[in-house]
Amino acid sequence: MTKVVIMSDGGDICSQVIGPTGAEHRRLANRVMQEALDRAKLSFPEISYVVATGYGRLNVPFADSEITELTCHAKGVASLFPEVKTAIDIGGQDAKGLKIKSGKLIDFVMNDKCAAGTGRFLEVTAATLGLRLEDLGTISAKSTHRVKISSTCTIFAQQEIVSRLSEGVAVEDVVAGLHDAIAVRVVGMTRRLKIEPVVVLTGGVAKNTGVVKAVREKIEHEVFVPPNPLLSGAIGGAILGRDIVLGALKEGKPIPKKERALEEVTFFN
Amino acid sequence: MSEKSKGLSKVEEICSQRSGRAKELKDEGKKIMGYFCIYPPLEMLSALDLLPYRILGDMREPITKADACLPTVVCPFDRSALDLGLKGKYDFLDGVVWAHVCEVGEKTAHVWRTYLNPAYFHFIDIPHTIHKPAQNQFVQQLKDFQKTLMSFTGKKLTSEMLAEAINAHNEQRSLVRKLYDLRKPDPPLISGSEVIKTLKAIMSLPVKEGSELLREVISEVGERKDGVPFRPVRLLIWGSIIDDTPLIEMMEELGANVVMDDTCVGSRAFFPDVKLTPDPLEGLAYRYLVDLKCPRTFKESTYGETKKDYLTDLRSRFSYISDYAKEWKVSGVVLQSVRYCDIHGYEVPGLGDYLDSVGLPHTYIEHTYDERSLAPLRTRIQAFLEIIRS
Repeated sequence: MTKVVIMSDGGDICSQVIGPTGAEHRRLANRVMQEALDRAKLSFPEISYVVATGYGRLNVPFADSEITELTCHAKGVASLFPEVKTAIDIGGQDAKGLKIKSGKLIDFVMNDKCAAGTGRFLEVTAATLGLRLEDLGTISAKSTHRVKISSTCTIFAQQEIVSRLSEGVAVEDVVAGLHDAIAVRVVGMTRRLKIEPVVVLTGGVAKNTGVVKAVREKIEHEVFVPPNPLLSGAIGGAILGRDIVLGALKEGKPIPKKERALEEVTFFN
Repeated sequence: MSEKSKGLSKVEEICSQRSGRAKELKDEGKKIMGYFCIYPPLEMLSALDLLPYRILGDMREPITKADACLPTVVCPFDRSALDLGLKGKYDFLDGVVWAHVCEVGEKTAHVWRTYLNPAYFHFIDIPHTIHKPAQNQFVQQLKDFQKTLMSFTGKKLTSEMLAEAINAHNEQRSLVRKLYDLRKPDPPLISGSEVIKTLKAIMSLPVKEGSELLREVISEVGERKDGVPFRPVRLLIWGSIIDDTPLIEMMEELGANVVMDDTCVGSRAFFPDVKLTPDPLEGLAYRYLVDLKCPRTFKESTYGETKKDYLTDLRSRFSYISDYAKEWKVSGVVLQSVRYCDIHGYEVPGLGDYLDSVGLPHTYIEHTYDERSLAPLRTRIQAFLEIIRS
């Protein structure tokens, strides 16, 4: 997904949009941006500074700077939960553990090598079960005998699901097992940072109440989820952009902007 | 090899065809001895007029043959080196010296001997601890090595010959340390990539030619005006072998100069000298077993002490890294390892705790010794630099 957050100099969010990404859509960051501008009733030249973040950060030709999603997520989460010390972000393509001190990122771990422990794992396994991704949380809530899915390899887990179903295990027990498998994987990875409360869970997978519950069980602490868990990275990017602009103004320096126009990336041409 | 090129352009030329000089010398009758890892004592080869030639992998070449004779879940550098051997890239070697450096290294020795069948093959069983009985055992191992070398070359290896070779190698080591001094200014006078290429080149040349090349590079780099640009972060890289430049270049692109290393095409291979002892083998054994600082050797604060203070133990094992960091004014440490490298992997948690204790920022990355697999690391390195700069 491509997310845009426009922030005022006072730090208020003027508009926020979540649009699609994909092989072709990634070139269309400018369209999502245009939609955010329309909603805020702003024109592009009125935007003082643009920060691009995430996997697509290099494909945003109209950005003034690019900052990694790790730094942006930490900033965004800390703005929503000032006491946060540990953040876990589970997105479609990777999972990250962040260690945050006084609102700043100080260490991180990342799983970006395979689909295990990411949203993609749930997408693929939901398809195997013939379920919609957004229904998984509700379905798993009905589980009474959660099965153990021993494999976190997406392909092997698919095979395991099929064999569990053929043994007559109820679908909700399988779904609860999948949520548990993700939580084991991601919490285990984050333990390398020594998990300390306050713990916040973000990313698209944090919308799944079943995964949130499973993560809570593993961590044995309250786990907070922001109202819109997909947006924390974009919010963090906007805050960092605002800091850059306000910092420059305070020092009487020009804003370090690039020559830019709201256009499509020419990456594929 | 062209007569004209000197210094860094000669380094480039050698790295583009690393075996070139060895093959020339072979045609003139010199015997070329491949060696694996940094543990076989090169002095013993040089003393007998054999050319020590470091066996390396190639992270730009896909592994297509080695998987037939090594498992895929082992050190990808090892697999790559064997793959090159199976593809005939090391056919010019007259012999191979292997050593018990790590478990995979040991097992690969058999595979290399079986599949490539070199005219001379010797395996040195290096102890894994450093206390006195281990040192004595290592001296015995070196005596065995000496015997097989003498029978292969038909020459006697005397203490005088060894002492001369030790001096020649020590001289080269002091030149490498001078080269590293050029990394201390900010910006450094020589880049991390240039250092790796220079060391790779001298690992392919006779010791005196290598020293001559080092002198040329040192004088060229000391004089040039447009060397390395200023970059806001100065990094030290620790870990398993780095014998090519893509990882360093990525760090440079992201705004960091790599100014120091603790890797084995780097300071680890060259910094310690050999002390001349009445029996030169004893000095060699001490340098290669005790002074070389690869985690393949078990080291502890006090041998025989049954209860240890964690931080004291860490200090005794890793304080040289914070000494490097001070001397080269390093702002962060990248711990890197090829995937499946047990010896480096085991070291990471302790080393991380030690670096925390001295306040040095660090991050850990793993790669598969494959140029194409480095892209996902970009975000991690960039985020690490953001942490250092924030």
